[in-house]
Amino acid sequence: MNNYKRLIQPYVLWISIFLVLPMLLIVLYAFTVGGNDVLTFNFTLDNFTRFFNDNVFIGVLIDSFRIALVTTILCIFIGYPAAYFISKMNVKSNAFFILLITLPMWINMLVRTYAWVGILSDNGVINNILSFFGLGQLHMIHTEFAIILGMVYNFLPFMILQIHASLTKMDTSLVEASADLGASKFETFKRVIFPLSLPGVISGITLVFLPATSSFFIQRLLGGGTILVGNLIENYFVTTGDWNFGSAISLIMAIIIMISMYLTNRLDKERGED
Amino acid sequence: MKKIIQFKNIVKSFDEQIILKGITLDIYENEFVTLLGPSGCGKTTLLRILGGFLDADSGEVIFDNEDIAKLPPYKRELNTVFQKYALFPHMNIFDNIAFGLKIKKMSDDVIRQKVTRMLKLVNLEGYEDRKIDQLSGGQQQRIAIARALVNEPKVLLLDEPLGALDLKLRKEMQLELKKIQQEVGITFIYVTHDQEEALTMSDKIVVMREGEIEQVGSPIDIYNEPVNEYVANFIGESNVIDGVMKKDYLVSFDDKDFTCVDHGFKDNEDVDIVIRPEDIEIVGRGRGVLNGKVKSQLFKGVHNEIIVETARGSHVEVTMTIYNKKPIFNEEASEYISANNFYVDVQDFDELTDDDIIARADAQAWDAETEEYVGFSSVTYEELVGENTYPVTFSTSKGTSITIEMIGVKQRYINDEKKRIGIAAFDFFKTLDEIEESQALDTDLKTWADAVSWDLDTDEAIEIRNVDYDFEIEDLVPGTYKVSFSTVGREFKIHTTKSSEVDKNVGLSFDPEAIHVMEKMGF
Repeated sequence: MNNYKRLIQPYVLWISIFLVLPMLLIVLYAFTVGGNDVLTFNFTLDNFTRFFNDNVFIGVLIDSFRIALVTTILCIFIGYPAAYFISKMNVKSNAFFILLITLPMWINMLVRTYAWVGILSDNGVINNILSFFGLGQLHMIHTEFAIILGMVYNFLPFMILQIHASLTKMDTSLVEASADLGASKFETFKRVIFPLSLPGVISGITLVFLPATSSFFIQRLLGGGTILVGNLIENYFVTTGDWNFGSAISLIMAIIIMISMYLTNRLDKERGED
Repeated sequence: MKKIIQFKNIVKSFDEQIILKGITLDIYENEFVTLLGPSGCGKTTLLRILGGFLDADSGEVIFDNEDIAKLPPYKRELNTVFQKYALFPHMNIFDNIAFGLKIKKMSDDVIRQKVTRMLKLVNLEGYEDRKIDQLSGGQQQRIAIARALVNEPKVLLLDEPLGALDLKLRKEMQLELKKIQQEVGITFIYVTHDQEEALTMSDKIVVMREGEIEQVGSPIDIYNEPVNEYVANFIGESNVIDGVMKKDYLVSFDDKDFTCVDHGFKDNEDVDIVIRPEDIEIVGRGRGVLNGKVKSQLFKGVHNEIIVETARGSHVEVTMTIYNKKPIFNEEASEYISANNFYVDVQDFDELTDDDIIARADAQAWDAETEEYVGFSSVTYEELVGENTYPVTFSTSKGTSITIEMIGVKQRYINDEKKRIGIAAFDFFKTLDEIEESQALDTDLKTWADAVSWDLDTDEAIEIRNVDYDFEIEDLVPGTYKVSFSTVGREFKIHTTKSSEVDKNVGLSFDPEAIHVMEKMGF
């Protein structure tokens, strides 16, 4: 056994260099101000006070989480029924629909999002069709609606796959037992199937909520001037070159996400203990 | 007693394979009925049709005078205990048992009262707040029973519920289940492949085979009066013998007539005879109805299982020649080579390949230092015509060679017309070393002599069970020995608390009542 344990060492090294170290650097940058050289650090909390004292930043933060939350909720409401009906199908169609859902993921996310620009823009596909029938124009591009649409479109497969996995691995004899004990199909769903599929929903939430809060190109392409946290971080790193402030924002994001994930998991556990 | 369930000509198939071939069966109130059969006999399918989880292709399921074939499971007044319990993992014990009652919207205090009573019935009082994974298999089983019974069904279905438990727990649960059934006084339909379980608990056993019912009866009836060989073999252990019913009260097997209590067969009808192992007594030679030799004795706890052979199987005897030959050493190539003379059937000449010859001669060559085997580059011999002795030379690429004799003979076949069995074997040559090095001498002797046996009618191979020889390996010297091969003869399995010795000549005694004559099974 001990010999095999050594095989883990390259991974430890890999994770240290490419994961732990950069994270530590972010923390280091977040708590210092510019002009660091290799040996001297000017530790400070200025980055954080600057962020929390500026209503614009707080507004951006709230917008980001609101949009991510709406996206996640929509993904649950669209994804759950989809996953449920796919899991009810026979093996062949089951595999086919799962393939269909994963298929778009084979194409670059950026390209797919660009496609939506063509569909939603003022002289895009939808408005062309509308004007063909003599209907008025709909302004869709560069609205919050477009951003949420883009996010739901991009992240929905993650939700469906997670829920689908938890539904298909469920012991069918539990469903039979429920029916045997007098539960109608709806009662069985409410009392057995749904509660047992919750772990899948929770991991689906994680996989949708995380990228939705930190995304930056979807709102840039579909949201026009809308700035969300992802864009803020991007700006400070790429445009302004203020890595310290950028790191601080990243850290604030990470902490809020960690707290919300912790709360979601707690919620799941408590439900299970009821 | 009142009929509660009637199956009428139930047919069910999956993927064009017929699982149930028209089952008709009545089940009465307050009965403990066991559906017994090996896996794949359709017993679980029948239970699932009754539970509503499967639809029959045709036929009626009458429950309490009402056809329920089209009713979904949740509308049927019966409950199931599932094979792997199927307890809800996200609920505690209380909620699991209360599930059905909550669906029926009973008031909380009634639910609490009923659940408590059920937990008392299954001996798990005070377990309400436990989680499922905190329970042992046996406890989970009891909860599953409580969860089903709390709904006060008219019939409880149990699908191999004790399969996952260990032997001791299973025995305890058998008694407990029977007790519960008597206490609640409802019909239990129990599916199992375990005949002992069926005999212990049931009021009525339904023996199934390949989608059909073979026999329905009380455990005692089924044990004492099995209708055919299949039931006899499935229920308890038994000696099943081919025989002929000469006339009423007289049956014959192995050239002997026996008085029996059975009648009503045609004169000289071919029948199967069952004699239960515990009905046979071992007595002194000549003092019983049959004589035989003890083949083996096994301790089985309460009794000994003794096998006595009363008639020898078909047999053939060959000569084994042992010589003290050493491998040839080729100093130049530093290789050893060895091979034996062997006999071959002239009829096989046409199909004889070099590989066959190498195998039959047990020819080997190996490197003196590394001891690794070396392949043969050539196997040479003259044209094979008729019975004769042919020199065969095996050589390796380095020039090491050995010449042996291949003796073409007409093989000795023995056709046992009476038993319709053919058996054949060859004389063979071996070195002392080879015998001593053999790991499994009986099997090796069979291989070396190429001993085979077959059914004269169907040509199917028959196992050669016994290999007898007149030497002890320890004091084996070069010379010739007799080795005989035989198929299994007439063997009786006897359960007795007395013990005997292997190879002892004994007599067997049994009463006319011990002989159960059955119709031959039709296929």
